[in-house]
Amino acid sequence: MELGTRKILDRSFTAVGVTSIVLMALALLVVIVPIFRGGIAALYFDGTIEHRKLQYDQFGKGDPDELSVQIAETDRHRSEAYRFLDAFEREMEGMDAETAGNYRPGFRKVKEILTHLLGPLPGEQEPILLRFQYGRTRWEKAEETLHDLLFVTKWDYSNPSEMAKEYFVPRSDEFAGTALAGLFPYVEDNLRNMLLPEPTFYWGFITNKSLDAHIFGGIWAEIQGTFFLAVGAMLFAFPLGVIAAIYFTEYAKDNFFTSMLRSANSTLAGVPSIVFGLFGLAFFINTIKVSESKSVLAGSLTLAIMILPTIIRAAEEAILSVPKTYKEASLGLGSTKWRTIMTVILPAALPGIITGGIISLGRAAGETAPIIFTAAVSVGATIGIADVFTSPTPALSWNIYNLASEHEAANEIRHVQYGMVLALISIVLLLNLSAILLRARISKKLKG
Amino acid sequence: MKLMKKLFLFAALLSFAAAGPAQAKDIVMDGSTTVGPVAKSFAAYFTKTTGVQVTVSESGSGNGAKSLINGACDIANMSRAMKDKEVAAAKAKGVDPVQHVVALDGIAVVVHPSNYVSSLKIEQIRDIYIGKVTNWSQVGGPNAKIVVIQRESNSGTQDSFKSLVVGKGNAITKGAETQASNGAVKSRVGSTPAAIGFIGLGFVDDSVKPLVVNGVKPANETVKDGSYPVARPLFMYTNGQPTGNVKKFIELPKTDDGKRMISELGFVNKY
Repeated sequence: MELGTRKILDRSFTAVGVTSIVLMALALLVVIVPIFRGGIAALYFDGTIEHRKLQYDQFGKGDPDELSVQIAETDRHRSEAYRFLDAFEREMEGMDAETAGNYRPGFRKVKEILTHLLGPLPGEQEPILLRFQYGRTRWEKAEETLHDLLFVTKWDYSNPSEMAKEYFVPRSDEFAGTALAGLFPYVEDNLRNMLLPEPTFYWGFITNKSLDAHIFGGIWAEIQGTFFLAVGAMLFAFPLGVIAAIYFTEYAKDNFFTSMLRSANSTLAGVPSIVFGLFGLAFFINTIKVSESKSVLAGSLTLAIMILPTIIRAAEEAILSVPKTYKEASLGLGSTKWRTIMTVILPAALPGIITGGIISLGRAAGETAPIIFTAAVSVGATIGIADVFTSPTPALSWNIYNLASEHEAANEIRHVQYGMVLALISIVLLLNLSAILLRARISKKLKG
Repeated sequence: MKLMKKLFLFAALLSFAAAGPAQAKDIVMDGSTTVGPVAKSFAAYFTKTTGVQVTVSESGSGNGAKSLINGACDIANMSRAMKDKEVAAAKAKGVDPVQHVVALDGIAVVVHPSNYVSSLKIEQIRDIYIGKVTNWSQVGGPNAKIVVIQRESNSGTQDSFKSLVVGKGNAITKGAETQASNGAVKSRVGSTPAAIGFIGLGFVDDSVKPLVVNGVKPANETVKDGSYPVARPLFMYTNGQPTGNVKKFIELPKTDDGKRMISELGFVNKY
């Protein structure tokens, strides 16, 4: 080959390599940035007076004196708005039945939206569900609701050959010339005074339990559940995996039985996680009944079986990469095989084993399928260590799925979902980071 | 060696760091996603008023029944009645499923708000679902191919819809897309102009448009008086007659607070 051609080939290869790395980094950014932005919004947002009321009522957080001053102020502005409602109700009593009947559904809708925005209207029965006891706790959501109050969404069905177009009409048109007409501009101008938004750091999102199925409150139960499940899985899988790896590398003969075991292990590594989930349900819960119902224990055992092959492989690789001379020196000095393994080979292989372990830990934390049937629930208490053998638990991965698909108010609580995703990703990233650091430290120690 | 010990110690410490007090016997619920909102609200209310922990899983009516049969839950939430097969399986395992009605629920047939079809006959809906009608123009709508959305076979809502609308003997069109929960159907219909799907009445919001069926609008009143044709009761099943806390829980729909929760969630009270 010509030298020139070689150079061109070389350079083009380098260019392709660099481009692909840059593309990968960009793709990662495209994924991570929205998650990060959305997740931060769960912690840092413009919280309204309703958020502060809720925090004080439910968690006892905040300064009651300051809060009552603010409540008095917002109530002053709100009572103006409620006056419009009362005036219109009186006006309706004076109308003939038909006219009043025409206004009624629209008026009901207005009241509904106001309730959504500011919490229960005066004189109405206190709702029993927490989600209806408070108005909008987040300013950006309050603005969305304000838009609903000011505009009616209509669909233009004039062209029968295609889908209708969305357009907005001012809601005040419906009530033109009545006492209610003044309400809309009033609320638009005074919404800030009625809700007093201020930038809020809500640390409770991480440390509080959820209220009313995640509509308010935080995600502590999920974080803790994820943690229990992952650590539990490690407690089972790590010792077993390391022991199996030692057996494979140091004790196993090269015969048919061993190769069977090896291929079984490789097969296990390729099984889809939902299969492990169903196996866990059939075996741990229905057959050997490790617990009455779903429990952290059953989930941990299932996850342990799922990550076992990865741990065995990582540990095997690590043990095999220990230089032969170490082993020979140890045996040559007269120590037994067992002693050699415990004092020479394992310490030297430890960085690799630990790395494999922690990466599996991250995987166990992020898996959904194995825990659906064995451990995860959508609503449950934060459990203590004493309950892990009997109680199921909420967990981040399952609740992210649940909030995205099954929750009746999925669109209202996207921020919670983002917050959970961010929490899960942070946990996995932290685990992997700690794996890298730990590995570096141990390697340094062993070298020294 | 020292390191190993340290590591194990660290793991042990970590796992005890989050330890909390143990609790009394709690109630475990599993099953329908449609009953989910009621179950979750009841659970929160029950824990608040009695201190008994209640856990709720939403894995579908079929799974709820299986859980109860296997003794893995105290209460199975179901949006359909137990089938004979399930009852037989339960009896074989020594489980005696007892039915309790929680609330009534209409199944709203929903389309995208941009679709100007706003009312259909039940036969037309059936024809759409069995694949006889494939374009909205055939039922007086715009010229667009219908995207049919159904639920998975495990779903009680699917089961009720099949018996109430499609007819037991008819197969749903092969082109139908399957979604795994009420919420998933809602978001799919809300983002697909030519879609048709069905969800529990409690899940309806402004992102979808419920159809008027046989001239009757799906609403609280029409479900209660029986005029809305696609309605069914929602159930909770227990093993034998409930006692103690489970009994208290099951009787919530008959209490004033329970009734208010049910109607606030958009379901219809039976009692």
